[in-house]
Amino acid sequence: MDMQANALTTEAEQGFVELYDAARAKLPGADNAWARELRDQAMRDYAAIGLPSRRVEEWKYTDLRRLLGEAYAPAPALSEALGHDDIRAILGDGLAALDCHSVILVDGHLRHELSDFGFAGDKGEAISLGEALATPPKWLKAGFGKVNPPKSEAVLALNAAFMSDGIVLRIPAGLEITKPIHIIHVHTAKRPVGITTRNFVSIGKGAKVTLIESFFSVSDAASQHNVATELDIGDGAQVSHVKLQCENQEATHLATWMTRLGASAGYRAFQFTTGAALSRSQIFLAVAGEGASANVSGAFLLRDRQHHDTTLVVDHVAAHCESRELFKAVLEDDARGVFQGKIEVHPHAQKTDAKQMAQGLLLSETAEFDSKPELIIFADDVVCGHGSTSGQIDDESMFYLRSRGIGEAQARSLLIQAFAGEAIELIEDEVLRDVLLGIVANWLTKRNA
Amino acid sequence: MLEIKNLHAEVDGEKILKGLNITIPKGEVHAIMGPNGSGKSTLANVLAGKEDYEVTKGSITWNGADILEMSPEERAIAGVFLAFQYPVEIPGVATMTFLRTALNAVRVGRGEPELTTPDFMRLVRAKAEELQISPDMLKRPLNVGFSGGEKKRHEVLQMELLEPSLCVLDETDSGLDIDAVRIVSEGVNSLRSPERAMLLITHYQRLLDYIVPDQVHVLSDGKIVRSGDKSLALELEESGYAEYGEQAA
Repeated sequence: MDMQANALTTEAEQGFVELYDAARAKLPGADNAWARELRDQAMRDYAAIGLPSRRVEEWKYTDLRRLLGEAYAPAPALSEALGHDDIRAILGDGLAALDCHSVILVDGHLRHELSDFGFAGDKGEAISLGEALATPPKWLKAGFGKVNPPKSEAVLALNAAFMSDGIVLRIPAGLEITKPIHIIHVHTAKRPVGITTRNFVSIGKGAKVTLIESFFSVSDAASQHNVATELDIGDGAQVSHVKLQCENQEATHLATWMTRLGASAGYRAFQFTTGAALSRSQIFLAVAGEGASANVSGAFLLRDRQHHDTTLVVDHVAAHCESRELFKAVLEDDARGVFQGKIEVHPHAQKTDAKQMAQGLLLSETAEFDSKPELIIFADDVVCGHGSTSGQIDDESMFYLRSRGIGEAQARSLLIQAFAGEAIELIEDEVLRDVLLGIVANWLTKRNA
Repeated sequence: MLEIKNLHAEVDGEKILKGLNITIPKGEVHAIMGPNGSGKSTLANVLAGKEDYEVTKGSITWNGADILEMSPEERAIAGVFLAFQYPVEIPGVATMTFLRTALNAVRVGRGEPELTTPDFMRLVRAKAEELQISPDMLKRPLNVGFSGGEKKRHEVLQMELLEPSLCVLDETDSGLDIDAVRIVSEGVNSLRSPERAMLLITHYQRLLDYIVPDQVHVLSDGKIVRSGDKSLALELEESGYAEYGEQAA
């Protein structure tokens, strides 16, 4: 049976196959058999299913087959010479002030001269994905692509086929990395490009780390960014994970997080989205060890015709675990926000305590919030709940603020900040929290202008 | 001077105020009492400028200015303050942020400079202490997790900060125990001045033991049907509102 002929119908779908054939021999790890086979297999997987359309339940609200007009060729390695000052300017004062280990990727290529890799300790390992694919460590080969992967996922398959760079990190047991590791993605290419990055992070027992992934554009051109991060969190480890997506209004941003949480481990994740014309963030989280706890939350602020989709799947595999999710969507103009949140409690996951909430704030008649919460429970002794609301700015609250002398525009801004702020407050790092609140305030300024 | 003349107002097409007249000179405290549904809260909301309330006839002027033409924030700047019966809870807005934003908006609107953060903090702390509002309460989101009494004390705190010239208190004593009534009343009494007029809206006369009014008016079916001195409140306490259209409990 020739599946390719059936699956790949659009120009973009076929484009990825052609681009892969052209790029295959030049991609990092082309001389390594393991890496080559990994990519080829991923491409075969992709070719068998093609891009997801709305007929695929998980992609019901984001018909990628229809939305993706063409496939962009991988970005070349060297475009612009960027220095530390440029990076600071891109980040802005608030984020630049964050004391962290910075890892800089420009158009999907890691810039060693701008990056700081000194955080894994003597017993750990921190290398670029490019290096790792050329000479893969054993532990990477054993674990790569196996951290809670979704089944038949075309976006993830394309990621493995085209991945150019990222970080490959093994944090040894017990190591506490005090400063956050900040992976900064900067898009500079003046012509439409594909950017494909991948991170693999294995966190030893009892280790502690904060990972930040941020995405910025200095170019106005279109881009297709496909990023995936695997996070294997050992027993008792404590991990904070933050994503900040501020790409330009021409960008397509497809992100996949795959996380497995060990026993008594803690995971606090937050995703903040305000960039890109089209973005999708898929989060696959397996709460796999007893006594683990996770909080995965986020906020998105969209306007014009922006489309963002957060799709979250939390698998409760082990007993006595807790998970919390709070997502807030602020939508104006013709923007569309999607939240799909599925919690599945497996038969052995007794005493699971899982709660999820998604809330949309619509600032215009034409904005749209689609929320699809799902609970699938196979255990009988659990506390699970989910909720979803969609509404406008509350008149009573507006009147209260205005009756105290606060002007209409400022009152609205306060209430919008309050709405998003409830989720942002969940971020532990104070600097980061203030940075995000600042971005919200800035977004509102543009609104009132 | 507050002058309300022949005020007619309706909500969702239902006529609630039907020709209300009242005049409160500066320096005086007047109480409006009346049965449930007589229009007390409607009057409070109309004074503060709530959009759902439509004034179909009549006028309201404060010191000669037509406040019906003003937005709620313009009224606040002009000196009108409503202490709400049910202050709204706003999760995500920090109480201190709210207080500072409101105070500075009003100050700027009145042509005064904004307060610096240290000056603001000092001012709030001093006033809060008088009202027995704990620093912990001020750290919470606006009115969230406040008890009924804390909400009312917080309303009075705002009133003290914004220094209005016309204070309207809507059922400020409801839900308060006697100690809280005393604290709130002391706060309100401290604001009594020759330049300030006050309108107390209340169902029960209890509050009027603590904030003694110059005049008491009885509101029934959208109109003032009787006016008198403070003894009228005691009389109402004895006889109830039966003759003003409310069934005895």
